Amino acid sequence: MDQLIEQIVTGLSIGSILLLVALGLSIIYGSMGIINLAHGEFVMLGAYAAWVFHTYLGLGLLASLVPIFLVVAAFGWVIERYVLSLLNNRPLDTILATWGVGIMLQQAVRLMVGSELRYVQLPPALADSMDVFGIPISSYRVFLFVVSIALFGATWLLMNRTTVGMKLRAIIQDRSVAASFGINAKRVYALTFAYGAGLAGLAGALVSPLKSVSPDMGTGYVVDAFMVVVLGGVQSLAGTVASAFILGELSGGIAFLQNDTVAKTIVLLAIVVLIRFRPEGLFTARVRA
Amino acid sequence: MSSHLDLRDVSVSFNGFKALNSLNMSVCKGELRCLIGPNGAGKTTALDIICGKVKPSAGIVSFDGTALQDLEEYEIARAGVGRKFQVPSVFRELSVSDNLEVARARRTSVFGNLRWSIGNAGRDDIERLAELVGLTEQLDRPAAYLSHGQTQWLEIGMLVAQDAELILMDEPTAGMTAQETRKTAELFARLKGKHTLIVVEHDMGFVKAIGDIISVMHMGQMLAEGTAAEVEAHPEVRRAYLGSGGISHA
Amino acid sequence: MPSNISNSSGLQRLIAQLAPLLIVSALVFALPVLLNNDFLLNKVARYLVLGILTISLGLSWGFGGILNLGQAMSFGLGSYAMAMALKLKTVPVHTGASGLPDFMVWNNVQHLPWFWEPFRSLSFAIAAGLLVPALVAAGLGWFMFRGRVTGVYVSIITLATMVVINLVIIDQQSYTGGFNGITDLAQLELFGVAFDAYGRATYYLVAGCVLLSLLIAFAFTKSRAGLIVQAIRDHESRVRYFGYDVALYQIFVFALSAAIAGLAGMLYTVVMEFASPTFLGVQLSLSVVVWCAVGGRQSLVGAFLGAVLVAGMQGALSESAAFLETWTLVMGALFVLVVLFLPKGLAGLAQATCRWVAQRRQAASGAVGRGVSQTEGST
Repeated sequence: MDQLIEQIVTGLSIGSILLLVALGLSIIYGSMGIINLAHGEFVMLGAYAAWVFHTYLGLGLLASLVPIFLVVAAFGWVIERYVLSLLNNRPLDTILATWGVGIMLQQAVRLMVGSELRYVQLPPALADSMDVFGIPISSYRVFLFVVSIALFGATWLLMNRTTVGMKLRAIIQDRSVAASFGINAKRVYALTFAYGAGLAGLAGALVSPLKSVSPDMGTGYVVDAFMVVVLGGVQSLAGTVASAFILGELSGGIAFLQNDTVAKTIVLLAIVVLIRFRPEGLFTARVRA
Repeated sequence: MSSHLDLRDVSVSFNGFKALNSLNMSVCKGELRCLIGPNGAGKTTALDIICGKVKPSAGIVSFDGTALQDLEEYEIARAGVGRKFQVPSVFRELSVSDNLEVARARRTSVFGNLRWSIGNAGRDDIERLAELVGLTEQLDRPAAYLSHGQTQWLEIGMLVAQDAELILMDEPTAGMTAQETRKTAELFARLKGKHTLIVVEHDMGFVKAIGDIISVMHMGQMLAEGTAAEVEAHPEVRRAYLGSGGISHA
Repeated sequence: MPSNISNSSGLQRLIAQLAPLLIVSALVFALPVLLNNDFLLNKVARYLVLGILTISLGLSWGFGGILNLGQAMSFGLGSYAMAMALKLKTVPVHTGASGLPDFMVWNNVQHLPWFWEPFRSLSFAIAAGLLVPALVAAGLGWFMFRGRVTGVYVSIITLATMVVINLVIIDQQSYTGGFNGITDLAQLELFGVAFDAYGRATYYLVAGCVLLSLLIAFAFTKSRAGLIVQAIRDHESRVRYFGYDVALYQIFVFALSAAIAGLAGMLYTVVMEFASPTFLGVQLSLSVVVWCAVGGRQSLVGAFLGAVLVAGMQGALSESAAFLETWTLVMGALFVLVVLFLPKGLAGLAQATCRWVAQRRQAASGAVGRGVSQTEGST
């Protein structure tokens, strides 16, 4: 029984990290149709930013979260403005371009700070563990869970209850019609991409105390997060949440029962089958008969 | 008289909206049928059903005794149905002559097409087609460089090249000048008899110039059929075009 | 392939289109005369093989519009087919049992597994190196294209499939050599010629395969089927309404591309003297996409040269770690710039330049005054 609960908690913890990374990817893909292969590098940048703030400025992780969000969002803004906005009608090419940008970011970091592993300290206030149903769980993992849910809520509100969100949804429906009503599509796109990048940066900063920080740490995240998005359905934020926790529990469970290769193989094959038979994701209703 | 193309009680709905509601229509061999109706009447959907782009939720489409509704698009095309789309659909990166060559679908199997296409016979055929649609000068240019009107002509030329028994035309004269429209009317008159044509049009002048029998659609159903004069005199057609017939015919 | 080339203008056009292909092949064959260094020649042979791999991607991506991010899968399968045959030809050194590959002995395998048996025959291995990738691709293509999977989703499925096969190969160490791959191979011997990786014979074998691959790919793109495949790339659904079974054409070009990649993989084993899971890795697969994009995805010769030049440059700089790291950064930037501003790659740039020069010349001769000349530039 204890073991089961522990397993579930591990799954929730993996799920909340997945959600943090996938949220930004989902917004960018769902609204702009861009598969952002540089997303993992935004995660990596966020983790390095946490390390830099801590090592050079002596700032704690919690205190640096907002600046990290802003810094990585600024990166995203620049990339959208000067690279992706030039590729309006070439969706396949955006994959290539974001991949190239990802390589550049990774390599630039490697050249500047080296490829040795870096470590970020756990916030002292969250370093101990707390009792949940009589089982000791690291406070930081509980914190991660709460933050990921809170960020999801904030994103939902942003998309559905603000003018920027409304404009974005209008552009998704029909860009030229939205533009003729005076919506600056370019600006909204740049902001959306920046926001998604900022979220990825936050995710990177938040996982940095749990994992070692290295220039190529983002690669694994982007694959997993992409699967979350595909499983959840591109247009559905709620689907993203559900699929993040399902995948979290699944990969925790399979890794517990079988070896890592089998777990990865099963997940990959599941994705292939899913794309073939339900490209719109598991949690969206079919729109056309 | 057995009809060539038959639509029986064809219905289709998108998200609960009935785009076609028990549509019935039959067309004879060699006929040129014009299909008119207010916006949203279901004219384009009717063509979509025949060429297989949309599958009907109920009803039968039979063409020379073959049931089309269960076939794939390419099988319907092989059965002898060609389609021109409302938004001109050509292969933009290919040259005009290559566009026509693709449309000349005498052989359709992959292995049958593993041969080179530099022969004389094909080229002559293509030059004749290009002349027919006035694109001789543009033969070697990519289709992307053509004007809107020229692109319309190219797609019409591709349909002639395809040489389908039944040709479906969705607004072929959109974006054409009056002179070009006249030329289109002449071309259609020549095609009629050898081919069966169904033409969706808004331009009543054009419809009167080419059509023998006109079918009027409204709210996914067939409202009236007859000659231009008969249709114009039809009270329900008048009401539908004035927009007041919407509720009473739902 | 029957070709009835009686039309003189068609023949001229064909020669013009074949010219770059033949010139590049001639240069490839002539290189050993200039380069009298077996070590360097082996390196060049390696880049030529990567060039063949990139031609295969150009065929499916540039002409078929199928961005296969798992192109290295076919390459790796070809490479392993050759390595298995050459492994079984080695005189057992470490082995106790009857001619069992060394890594199987280390993993306590008692008998040669059934799927290794037929690789005792070199002809079988060569056939497998072409057919296994082609059949796997045809199966995957059937799965995807019958379900009308397009665009980005094709890329994801191909990438995921390759990763799965890669994982399985690494995991099944006792049958595949796992992480280390298959090493310590015998030399390839064909028709009494021994192909030493550092010998001229191997170089000419590779050069011959470059020419062969270019010609096969060229013949396909100029065939009617090749034309229809390009039409599918432009406007997939439109092609259906002309009566073509689109999925079959996609499956065909996908499988043909895989067979050529398999050929490249077999040659790579000969040139490198081993097979490794990295040969069907994500890194190589994505690099091929870069080479193809830089060279020009819609030009076979362009794709080939893109691979040879970029991979060659990378190889030349890899002597120094600092150089290589900077190079990767430059490469990333170059790639982004090509994607943004040269969607047809260097080949597109070259074509545009030729056209510009031709137009200038025509304009100049027209100005001299022989009346109105034909202004339509030839393409």
